[in-house]
Amino acid sequence: MNVTFPPLIALLLFPGGLFLLASGLVFEYVDRKFIARYQNRIGPRWFQPLADLVKLLAKEEVIPAGTIKGLFIALPIAALAAALTAGLNVPLFGFRPVFSYPGDLIGTLYLLSLMTLCIGLAGANTENRFSIVGATRALTQLFSYEAPFLLALLGPAIALGTWNIGEINQAAGMNLWFILSQPIGFLAALIGLMGKLELPPFDAPEAETEIVAGALTEYSGRGFALFRIGRDVELVIGLTLIASFYLGGFSSPLDFLWKTAVLLLITAALQSLFARLRIDQTVGLWWRVGAILLLVQMLVIIVGSSLAPFVSRLFGG
Amino acid sequence: MPRQKSERFIVPIGPQHPALKEPGHFEFTVEGEVVTNATARLGFVHRGMEKGAESRTWTQDLYLMERVCGICSHVHSMAFVLGVEKLANVQAPPRAQAIRELVAELERIHSHILWLGVAAHEGGFDTLFMFSWRDRETVMDLLETISGNRVNYSANVLGGVKVDINERQKDELLRGMDFLEERTRHYLKVVTEDDTFLGRTRNIGVMTFEEATRLGAIGPTGRASGLLRDVRMDSPYAGYPDFPIQIVTAKAGDLEARFVVRIKELFESYRLVREIVEKIPSGDLTTKIPRRIPEGETVSRVEAPRGELFYYIKSNGTDRPERVKVRTPSLCNCASVLTTAIGHKLADMPMILAGIDPCFSCNDRMVVLNGPAGQSLWDWEKLRQYGIEYYKK
Repeated sequence: MNVTFPPLIALLLFPGGLFLLASGLVFEYVDRKFIARYQNRIGPRWFQPLADLVKLLAKEEVIPAGTIKGLFIALPIAALAAALTAGLNVPLFGFRPVFSYPGDLIGTLYLLSLMTLCIGLAGANTENRFSIVGATRALTQLFSYEAPFLLALLGPAIALGTWNIGEINQAAGMNLWFILSQPIGFLAALIGLMGKLELPPFDAPEAETEIVAGALTEYSGRGFALFRIGRDVELVIGLTLIASFYLGGFSSPLDFLWKTAVLLLITAALQSLFARLRIDQTVGLWWRVGAILLLVQMLVIIVGSSLAPFVSRLFGG
Repeated sequence: MPRQKSERFIVPIGPQHPALKEPGHFEFTVEGEVVTNATARLGFVHRGMEKGAESRTWTQDLYLMERVCGICSHVHSMAFVLGVEKLANVQAPPRAQAIRELVAELERIHSHILWLGVAAHEGGFDTLFMFSWRDRETVMDLLETISGNRVNYSANVLGGVKVDINERQKDELLRGMDFLEERTRHYLKVVTEDDTFLGRTRNIGVMTFEEATRLGAIGPTGRASGLLRDVRMDSPYAGYPDFPIQIVTAKAGDLEARFVVRIKELFESYRLVREIVEKIPSGDLTTKIPRRIPEGETVSRVEAPRGELFYYIKSNGTDRPERVKVRTPSLCNCASVLTTAIGHKLADMPMILAGIDPCFSCNDRMVVLNGPAGQSLWDWEKLRQYGIEYYKK
């Protein structure tokens, strides 16, 4: 849908800003509800994520001794800001990206990674042992899923010959859906997103039975709330990216709704199906299986797209 | 910026930690993710029960001992009751003995399913946790129908039992067992076939037969390493001579084996419950027992869900015991955690810890050694005062 919003509205209200935050909460609710139903629980009420957020925002923020104070306060803000900025480059709610430039796919992915980096720094900033172990794990996990996730999203980009998210979104709907032509890429992107958001079974960086809350153990009140909402926003953006790349793009808000809902359903199922992977198992899974499969697929795409003109000349000419 | 400079990086688990349902303190020295040393400190929930038992009558003690453990309350009262009956030279009627065994097996079912959920949760498998605890409600309801309580059933009295089972309850028991057996079959499949779960349990925390023997491992933890040790079989008590068990063991000694042994013990318990319900002898529920227990001392052992529970009871001929000593199974198995932990990843620690099904509150003791002042015996008042002073600091 090609609607252009005035910059200030796009930035603060819709589709970026407040509306993105609100939809982050809604997505979190849907995710939690799905998992609860899979686990035969009732699940939270619809306003629970908002209530959690308000409660956390109202609570005292304790800054522990031995940390760099400025960094401690700045990191959650940077993380949320990066996630919100990334939102401007993707076709949120089926509308054209607010802000677009050639190659913005790479820029967006880096903005999304900033969150993990901030969490890692936040953990390393404190003296808490759980935080330090959590930070190490978060960064280890970053190195394991980041490259395969990037490769997974590059698949459609290379096939379509553009690295602009908006253009990919438009073109994806016209061809055969990429979920059918590049199924490995789709799976890798979805699982990579789960790794990025530290969702189970990739929640080793914040495994509560081992290291309490991982890197964020020392965070309370506002800082913790900002990290949480930042992660929710990232969930929305990540699902938007995957749906627009692999599920034929969006042409209307309705398209957006059902496609992301289907993806949420799948991620919730994956979250409740498996036991937590140890960090060494996560790294092993990505580099031994994920990266190699993706590289093979990438090779096929590149060879295929460079051979396509010859083939069509052979048979068509 | 001041930072603790230390060669060794120690990750503390406890006294308060999400992995622990009760306070205990474990320190794991890690290099990266690999654990190189482990130490334990227990005693955070010392409650002075053994001492408290000395100032209560035999009947009152029954209720006190039942509260030693919240999960296996029945076996504690049973160990106490059996010991006291032995001292008084009284034999409870056969129907009472069968009901004791019935409640003990129901309790084992509830304890093992509870453990299955907790262990799955430690491994980050919350779906199994939720499902198993949902199914555990069945057996909790059954216990409630029989005794009126979900936790401290107080089925035992000195010289017999307080509760009886009627035809309606028998039906409910049989139906409950059918349902649980079907679910348990599914869980056995999950823990032996699910790849991600096997990645967390297979060859993790391996304790060989020799090690298990040396460390004195008992209960399902020892049986998972191939130890043939079960009080129900070695020296049958209560109804076990009439309704014998078949021992369940495994060879591997890893976490998977501990899962398998406990789940297979569930099937054994279902079979026993069915058998007791069908063939329960008729007759009285209690016999008379004197208020003052004759002088003497005795040892009483029962098989708790976690292993051998040991009671030493000494009577001086009054209506109060002179000494009650409790040794709970978790104490025997604690050492195995510290040995098997070394060389594993930090991420495996909660599961290895949960693998022995630890129960800290019931094994915390206070020991007073002969100090320079020559003081070795503390009375209740002094113990209480010590506690108050200790926590003032």
